[in-house]
Amino acid sequence: MKSAPFEHHEPDTVDEAVSLLESLDDPTILAGGQSLVPMLRFRLANPDVVVDINGIDSLDYLDEGDGHLRLGALARHADVEDSDLIDEKYGSFADAAPLVADPQIRNRGTVVGSVAQADPKGDWGSILLAHEGEVIATGPDGDRAIPADEFFLLPYDTTLGEQELITEIRVPEPAPTEGSAYHKLKRKTGDYAMAGVGVRLVFDDDGVIESAGIGMTAVDITNARATDAEEHLEGERPSPDLFATAGELAAEQSNPESDEHGGADYKERMVDVLTQRALSDAAERAGTVTVQRRVTQ
Amino acid sequence: MTDEREITLTVNGTEHTIEVEPRRLLVHAIREDLDMTGTHIGCDTGNCGACTVLKDGEPIKSCLMFAAQADGAEILTVEGMEDLPEADDIHPLQEGFREEHGLQCGYCTPGMLMAGKALLDEHPDPDEETIRDAISGNLCRCTGYQNIVRSIEYAAEELENRAAADGGAVAADGATDGGPAASPEGGHAAPEFGGDADTFCGREDCCGGPDGADPFDRDALLDDAGDADDTADADAGTDANDRGDTK
Repeated sequence: MKSAPFEHHEPDTVDEAVSLLESLDDPTILAGGQSLVPMLRFRLANPDVVVDINGIDSLDYLDEGDGHLRLGALARHADVEDSDLIDEKYGSFADAAPLVADPQIRNRGTVVGSVAQADPKGDWGSILLAHEGEVIATGPDGDRAIPADEFFLLPYDTTLGEQELITEIRVPEPAPTEGSAYHKLKRKTGDYAMAGVGVRLVFDDDGVIESAGIGMTAVDITNARATDAEEHLEGERPSPDLFATAGELAAEQSNPESDEHGGADYKERMVDVLTQRALSDAAERAGTVTVQRRVTQ
Repeated sequence: MTDEREITLTVNGTEHTIEVEPRRLLVHAIREDLDMTGTHIGCDTGNCGACTVLKDGEPIKSCLMFAAQADGAEILTVEGMEDLPEADDIHPLQEGFREEHGLQCGYCTPGMLMAGKALLDEHPDPDEETIRDAISGNLCRCTGYQNIVRSIEYAAEELENRAAADGGAVAADGATDGGPAASPEGGHAAPEFGGDADTFCGREDCCGGPDGADPFDRDALLDDAGDADDTADADAGTDANDRGDTK
């Protein structure tokens, strides 16, 4: 299949991109294109104008600064996968990157593009939620930071303005007693998640959970937080029972749909299991405790 | 309508300037504009990996990017494998697919070869898990993964043997992705099939070594990739024997 014809713009700078977004009629932004190109080809998307940001070199970064891990709009999944910084400090990112699609797609697809796509089955949205990260949107009036909680509206729909470009996503640098993890269930390489759970735990010096963030993939109309489970964890010491209850609460709060890969009940059960596994990994990585997994399957 | 634009693609070391519409996919530019049909289109959805090529050394699916986005890039396709520095008549990976029966219908093979090439460039001595990861974006519907893994293992060993035999002269890390011009090996007397102990694959139950008769005579399958080359005539004799040039 071929795309419908479109006008192809290739700005070299963010300023140029933003003024194109301002002046053009309903443009579509093309980054890694691993979701958008098939959508164009199947004519699920039919933009007259495409603004291709791959030439904006200033957006190609993955680093720490301003107290955050920052991923520019051109950081590819493979950049996360290959990063020593990620391996050392950001467990959830390190877990998720090799589970995204397949090697070829990870070489092209971008993390920010995946967030912008807002597919509820995308992995990075859950991690952004779990870390209470931010989306940096650049528009005619400059930059604004959108908290992850306020970003996702509906499948493929976000609070990004029409004339805005996501230039970066960021999550706070981890505290010394913090750990994070991501677990995902999928049928085979290349598939989207049937269910996925990202977790971030921050402990105080006494080993009590000070703050918990849990983001769920593919089990609601958007990536969604498991707030009941988070509240249950905060102020408590980690234990198998605590994590088991958190898993149940996350499962209760999820709203998966039955499909050819599994029924809603099964997916809820998987949310429970994946939550417990991710909590256990996150606690271990925080370095304060080792919690025996109750669910070992 | 949108205007066509001029782009330059360096494919297998040769620069091509073509005019494409923005919506032209890279795979269509390679197959239809450049007439190189070794790169296959399998699924048309980005799942199967048959269209995998190396863009600036990295494996990508050429059905998931527009040709205009590859303007100025170096592309390696299966047609360029035999001209790589580490290739004799054919690339060690192609040799591996032949020796280990890594193909049945052959449709996925070009993509598998490119994924294998990208892997060996980065990990010259991969374990099985690493190989399986590297080809996880490539589907084989003949269910031939086991032999494909063996084929890539064969190539890794072969490259290692050659590197050892040549005192490390062969770029086993494949740092150069250039075409023929980049070949440091040139007509160097790299190990040929001919009973050289260095090239014996080491498996008793295999084909009896690289100079043994191939009972399945699958050679012709790869001949198209191998016979257009310009290697020294002195090689022709062994070629004809070993590869059964029966087109």
